[in-house]
This record gives sequence, structure tokens and C-alpha cells, in this order.
Amino acid sequence: MGRIEPLGTNVAAAPSSDSAEIDLDLPFRDRFALSFQNVVGRILAVIWLPAAGFAMRVVMRYRVPNVSEIRRRYRRMVKEADSPILICANHLTMVDSAVVAWALGGSWWYLFNYRRLPWNLPEQTNYGFNWFNRVGVWILKCIPIRRGGRREDVSSALKRVQYLLTRGDTAIIFAEGGRSRSGRIELDSVAHGMGRIMNSVKHCKALCVYLRGDRQLAYSAVPARGDSFYVDFELFQPESPHRGMRRSRDFANQIAERLVEMEERYFARRK
Amino acid sequence: MDNSEVQSKVVEVIGRYAKNKDALDSVTADTNILEDLKVNSARLVDVILDLEDEFDIEVEDEDADAVNTVGDAVALIQSKVA
Repeated sequence: MGRIEPLGTNVAAAPSSDSAEIDLDLPFRDRFALSFQNVVGRILAVIWLPAAGFAMRVVMRYRVPNVSEIRRRYRRMVKEADSPILICANHLTMVDSAVVAWALGGSWWYLFNYRRLPWNLPEQTNYGFNWFNRVGVWILKCIPIRRGGRREDVSSALKRVQYLLTRGDTAIIFAEGGRSRSGRIELDSVAHGMGRIMNSVKHCKALCVYLRGDRQLAYSAVPARGDSFYVDFELFQPESPHRGMRRSRDFANQIAERLVEMEERYFARRK
Repeated sequence: MDNSEVQSKVVEVIGRYAKNKDALDSVTADTNILEDLKVNSARLVDVILDLEDEFDIEVEDEDADAVNTVGDAVALIQSKVA
């Protein structure tokens, strides 16, 4: 299999990209497994998507001020981008990916736009300790990854995300390798995989998302019940004069720096 | 450049990031960079980029996937400078 062009996107209309020519040779077994996971998740989404929305809104009483405007803006942005989108977010809690997805899309919209519900790369050791959790995250469009694990395994997970993006799906990855221990984005912990994905998918854009609960002082397992979330996001296409791994690193750093700017805006508003 | 020369430069570069400095004295081709030398996995990218500078080569992410041991790094560099 040669280099994959994004499906369902108007490549000619997309801005020129310097993305590297990288061969995304995903074995048939992996492609089939992803398709199967997608179909099963989509069927069950009729149950779990509204349930997840209920859990956020009613059980946890989470709130996003101006959520309607945020979702309108996100949908317009996605439509106009007409290219693969990798959501790159800050990371403070273990449910950030769910909160980001909920804030940007909403359960009902995802039911009818399932491809836009982001695939996620959770740390395997956080979820993989029992059978129930493993099945759960599988249904919820997760591709578990073990940070610092065998390089072949990490590479395989990243390649699956690259493949999904070229297929027109959306994915979310956190800018740091784990939840920020300081409560602020740590440029020393930038996840290289983020840049690697951006470097390998032609025309891919990063949707930088800064999300933070008003009561989120540092990292935690879940945001506080009743918390209100600040959400800021912008599309970003990094550029780099480099090639290879250095280019991936450059992309990852630029995205992380963009998120730091967004974080500074957040704290400036709170003063 | 022969393998031993390349290996000594590789060890010098890895040494900047290795937490297990004692293990640097007994490095062989089979020494695992992450497990034996206790290099943080996130820092492995820095190791490869430093090797790029040291040997004036260009490494793709996929090439780096194959680098687990010091010997793997030496083989990668030899394949690039050849």
C-alpha cells in the first residue's frame, strides 16, 4: 500500500502542505480491526453517546458557557478546513478527551457525524487492568497505547491513527505525554507522536484545544462535579524547513507552544 | 568509520540522557538504551536528533522505531552514512 491520500476531502482545495512523503503501510489485519471497532462502536453509540452526555450534563453537572456558539464555530471550522484534523489538547484529567469531544460536538451531533467523534489514545495501564474496561474503551473509539513501551507497539498505534485521519476520521492526542503534574503545559514533556502524526498525514491540520475547568488547579483523575469549562480552540498548520524526525519534533513543539499561548490567554482572563 | 568508532560516539551522545551512568562503562551492542541505560523514552528522540547532528545524517521516525539497543543505533548510522 502506498502513501494514503485523505478520503472525503477536497485535496485540491486544501492549502499546500509540506508534509513528508511517508508510507503508511498498515496491515490488512489492523485495517479490518479498526473498521470492525468502528462499526460496533457506531451501532452501540445509540446507547452510549446519549448516556455519556447525560453523565456529563446531569450526573457530573459539567457546564460549558456559550456551548452552542462553541459547537457552531467548531462545525463551521471542520467543514471549511476540508482536511484531516488532529485535535491536540492540554491534559489535566483522565476524562479530558471525553470533555473536549462533548464540548465541541455534543452527543446528538456525533450520532449523525460519527467520524467526527475523535479516536483517542489512552494510556493502556490506566484502563487495561480488567476485561470490562478494555471492552469499554474499545467501544469508545480508543486505541490504547503504552507510553514508554516497546517502540514497535507505540509505532503501530500511531500508524493506526495516521490511517484513520487519512480516511477522514478525527483523532485526539494530548500535547504532553501525560497529565501535567504542574497544572500548566510543560514544554519539556511534549509528545513527539503528535508531531509524527502531523508530519505523516498530508494536509493534516492541528486543532489546538485548551480546556480547563474553573476549579481545576492542578491535575486530577476527573474534573470537580459542577465545574464550568473554559474552551478555546484554533486551527493550526505548522510549517518546518526540516525533514524526517526533526520535522516531526518541530511540529510537536510548535503545537505545544501554540497551546502555551492559549493557556497564557486563559490565565490573563482570570486575573 | 568502523563500528567501534561509531559506537563510542553513540555512547557519548546517549550518556547525556542516560540516568544509569554506571552502565555506560560496560556498554555493548546489545545494551538496551531504555531499559539498561534508563534513558527516558521521550528523550530517545533527542538522542536520535543529536546523532543526526553528530554524524550529519537524516533519520525518519520509522527508522528510529528500530532503535532499541546501542547496536541498533550503530547499524542505523552505518546504513545512513554508507
